[in-house]
Amino acid sequence: MTQQALDVKAARKTFFPGTADEKIALNDLNLSLDAGDFGIIIGSNGAGKSTMLNAISGALPIDSGQVLINGTDVTRTSVDRRAKHVARVFQDPMKGTAASMTIAENMLLAEMRQSPATLRKGLTKARRDKYRDLLAQLRLGLEDRLETQVSLLSGGQRQSLSLVMAVSGEPDLLLLDEHTAALDPRTAAIVLDATMRAVEALKLTTLMVTHNMQHAIDYGTRIIMLDAGQVKSDITGAAKAQCTVQSLVDQFSHKSDHMLLGA
Amino acid sequence: MDVLNLFLSLVPVTLAQSLILSFVVLAVMIPFRILSFPDLTSEGSYPLGGCVCAVALLAGVPPLLALALAAAAGFLAGVVTAVIHLRFRIHTLLAGILVTTMLYSVNLRVMGKANLPIFGEAKIYDFFPFDLGSVNYTKIIIAGLFALFVFVLLNLWFRTERGIAMRAVGSNPDMSEAQGISVWKATIGGVGMAGAFAAIGGGLMVQSQGFSDANMGLGILINALAALMIGEALVGKRTITQMLAAPFVGAFAYYQLISLCLAAGLPPSDLKIATGVFVLLMLAGPELRRAKGPRAAQESFRE
Repeated sequence: MTQQALDVKAARKTFFPGTADEKIALNDLNLSLDAGDFGIIIGSNGAGKSTMLNAISGALPIDSGQVLINGTDVTRTSVDRRAKHVARVFQDPMKGTAASMTIAENMLLAEMRQSPATLRKGLTKARRDKYRDLLAQLRLGLEDRLETQVSLLSGGQRQSLSLVMAVSGEPDLLLLDEHTAALDPRTAAIVLDATMRAVEALKLTTLMVTHNMQHAIDYGTRIIMLDAGQVKSDITGAAKAQCTVQSLVDQFSHKSDHMLLGA
Repeated sequence: MDVLNLFLSLVPVTLAQSLILSFVVLAVMIPFRILSFPDLTSEGSYPLGGCVCAVALLAGVPPLLALALAAAAGFLAGVVTAVIHLRFRIHTLLAGILVTTMLYSVNLRVMGKANLPIFGEAKIYDFFPFDLGSVNYTKIIIAGLFALFVFVLLNLWFRTERGIAMRAVGSNPDMSEAQGISVWKATIGGVGMAGAFAAIGGGLMVQSQGFSDANMGLGILINALAALMIGEALVGKRTITQMLAAPFVGAFAYYQLISLCLAAGLPPSDLKIATGVFVLLMLAGPELRRAKGPRAAQESFRE
């Protein structure tokens, strides 16, 4: 049996158990990704998309089940100790960067995911040069602003920086949580384009949550639809190529979402 | 003219005092500015450092080692505050108040009584080999060397990989965790470090004044906060170098202001209100200046 890049086995998570507000967010969810898979996660609000990403990143411990990354059981491993394998870009650009620190310092933090912090000098000239090259690929001019505080950047610039930070060090698993949803259309397109180039070039195993059906059709190798805390359908290959926005929307269970998503 | 002469005659005393206070200001600044962990523990770790130092000196421990023991005790006090916050989700300020309150009893236990004279013991200030005519100059040089050493060391530390990781935890704890940094380790290390600096301040003060007192910490926190606010107004707080310079500059400026008040005839009992007014002015100043403009962005601290 080949080793899966990600294997979520019967993951279960219940919020507010035993109360009137009880909500089963993950209902024995199973999902596995091969190395190099690019899964697009869709599903209505409350389907369990964010809970699943939180379970994979370690931000939320699951009640039962298992999470394996490259064959290693990380179910009980804390966020900071999973960081070596998992990188994540959040919807909120404020969440992925340290605002009061400089661009170069933020890049260094990302680099330290792979190599634990030492007592050596952090920002060496060699590192600054490397960060300049990495940032230049974005073509946003960030490479000339290494000593600028991140709080002075726009949302799009911050999100682009978050992306570069996430893909640096080639994580085993890249989690994108609606990472372009908070951006204006033009900036969103730039960030999405940079995402696709990075994922392709580095052959990263990726999970991307989106509410944009067109993106689900255009990008990725798999469409994974969640509903009520389970994988409802998993569309790959030729079947994926034949998907339309309408065919995807029709699969959503909640009528109220049709108007939102069909638009 | 009398006011000026009096003020100038006070400068050597206040300079020595301010160098010692700068350690406590550092102990307020590091958790507050670098870790976003507003902390009141220094009100307790400062006298703790003093008490431990005095007891150690009386037991025949050499002055420098006594200071190291004080630092270790202060570090432990900071660790307790940090763990109370991290483990039990208790607000940082409340955690600090709890530890400070408990430390009062600890300090009395350590000393065995409320006041411990150490006039006859060897002091760290005795190391200075030359007679400069006044003991104040010796104190200024020894305490100044300590301050300089710590300032340089901290500037280097906060530029190492670990130091940068520690700053990241204060800037964005969730993001730091996602980059593989342990929020627990960084917070415990940082708040502990602050406790150690407050205790070193207490140890230097006890060796300077020749006795240790359980009540010596009373109000030290607000003095340190006033000094920090003044320091930040003077040198800024944007870069790490500015952040680290502010405590030293601020402590100096604060004591000069206090000494000016005294020279001008203000009774010592009114100094608390003067200090309070300084803090208020420093905090209210930026708000008043932009009163007509848009409101300042709220600073966020850990709950």
